[in-house]
Amino acid sequence: MLTQAASGIDLFLPETYDIVWSLVILAILIFFFAKFFMPKMNKVLDERAQRIQGRMDQAEQVQKEAEELKSEYEQRLANAKSEASHIREDARAEASHIREDARSKADSAAKQMAANAQKAVEAQKLQAMNALRDELGQMATDLASKIVAQHLENDQAQSDMIDSLLDSMEKDQDSAQTSTKNNQ
Amino acid sequence: MVSFVGLTTASGLMHLASAKQPDYPTIEDFLPKPALFAGTPFAINRIILIRIILTVVILVVLGLTASHAKLIPSRWQSVVEYGLDFVRESIVYDVIGKEKGKRYVSTITTIFFSIFIFNLGAVIPFANMAATATICAPLVFALWSVYNYWAAGIRAHGLGGFLREELFPAGIPWPIYILLAPINLIEITLIRPFSLTVRLFANMLSGHLLVGMCLAATQFFFIETNTKIFAPFGVLTLAGGMFMTCFEIFVAGLQAYIFSILTASYISMSLGEEEEEEDKKVSQAAQPAAQLAAVSA
Repeated sequence: MLTQAASGIDLFLPETYDIVWSLVILAILIFFFAKFFMPKMNKVLDERAQRIQGRMDQAEQVQKEAEELKSEYEQRLANAKSEASHIREDARAEASHIREDARSKADSAAKQMAANAQKAVEAQKLQAMNALRDELGQMATDLASKIVAQHLENDQAQSDMIDSLLDSMEKDQDSAQTSTKNNQ
Repeated sequence: MVSFVGLTTASGLMHLASAKQPDYPTIEDFLPKPALFAGTPFAINRIILIRIILTVVILVVLGLTASHAKLIPSRWQSVVEYGLDFVRESIVYDVIGKEKGKRYVSTITTIFFSIFIFNLGAVIPFANMAATATICAPLVFALWSVYNYWAAGIRAHGLGGFLREELFPAGIPWPIYILLAPINLIEITLIRPFSLTVRLFANMLSGHLLVGMCLAATQFFFIETNTKIFAPFGVLTLAGGMFMTCFEIFVAGLQAYIFSILTASYISMSLGEEEEEEDKKVSQAAQPAAQLAAVSA
């Protein structure tokens, strides 16, 4: 080739070995791309697409679940609120009931105590009056005995004196009763 | 471009010894002598070696990427996935349609990735030559493209149905078929693969020549001439070389894209059905690409 000057047409006349090698190389390239490179890359690309799709589906699922949870919680919250208000109302009613109860109990107890006190006072007064009457009777008798000792013969005078004494005592008692009543 | 190459080559050869002239790239660059196994069908020359090395690079890099592919992609995996996504969505699904295009995704991806990496050999130091810059690499890719659109057509309509659709399109008065049928036959058997091949091959060849010329001139102006008067020209050609290198990277992607989208559109045409709609899509998609191809050629 060097000895004769190359002309342009030689460029278009392929050598056998050039064709052979070109064919071999093309065959290798076709085989490589068709059997290895493209399937492998496509697998990765498909897997990625699938993964992304899966993620999106998953996200949607999660969102749905979250929404369900949220509505459930809202429901629960509303329930709890209404329950709480119920409880509060119940408690309030209970409290007023208890208050009412306590008040009425206290009232009745106070009344009871007042009545008891009244009775005790009455009893003591009666006792005191009886004691007074006995004592006065004794004193009167003593006095009478002394007077009688002076006027033994005069029965009429003795009996008159005792009567008048008793009368005055009754008057005293009446006035004492009135004043007690007024004090009450 | 070819005749231009011929001219520069001739003058380059004439002045080779004198070193009064930059050591411009020649078409000998594209016809290297076999270095290994010379004389056998498995002879290996420099360009074939580049092709083999780049193939190994593709296998290793993409193989590792695929075997280490994770659900959460690394940066590199993201880059590869972006490339895959681009081929799948912007080339295959846009042209063929999602339903029918699925089975061709692997094919078009192979074409796009392989041709792109092979093309990049043009700007890789020490390779400095696209693996697609001899006619054979584009040719076998083009033949595979032919196989795919024939197989697609035959699978969809049977051999007879496919040929009837391609050679005798409906809605045309019958005398026209005398002219149209042979043209269409040549189109689907020869013109399509030939245009695919030459478009890619010539782009890579001219790219190499342009980059090589700029860099050879830079070398000449800076080092090989005795006078330093020409140094400013060297700065200019160096800038040109950098620009052409960037342009080569762009063309590498562009040509891989064009090859892939044309293969996809041929397959789509073979599949027929909803032809009008898809043809529109194809022409829309292919138009800017074809214009860019014309510019770069």
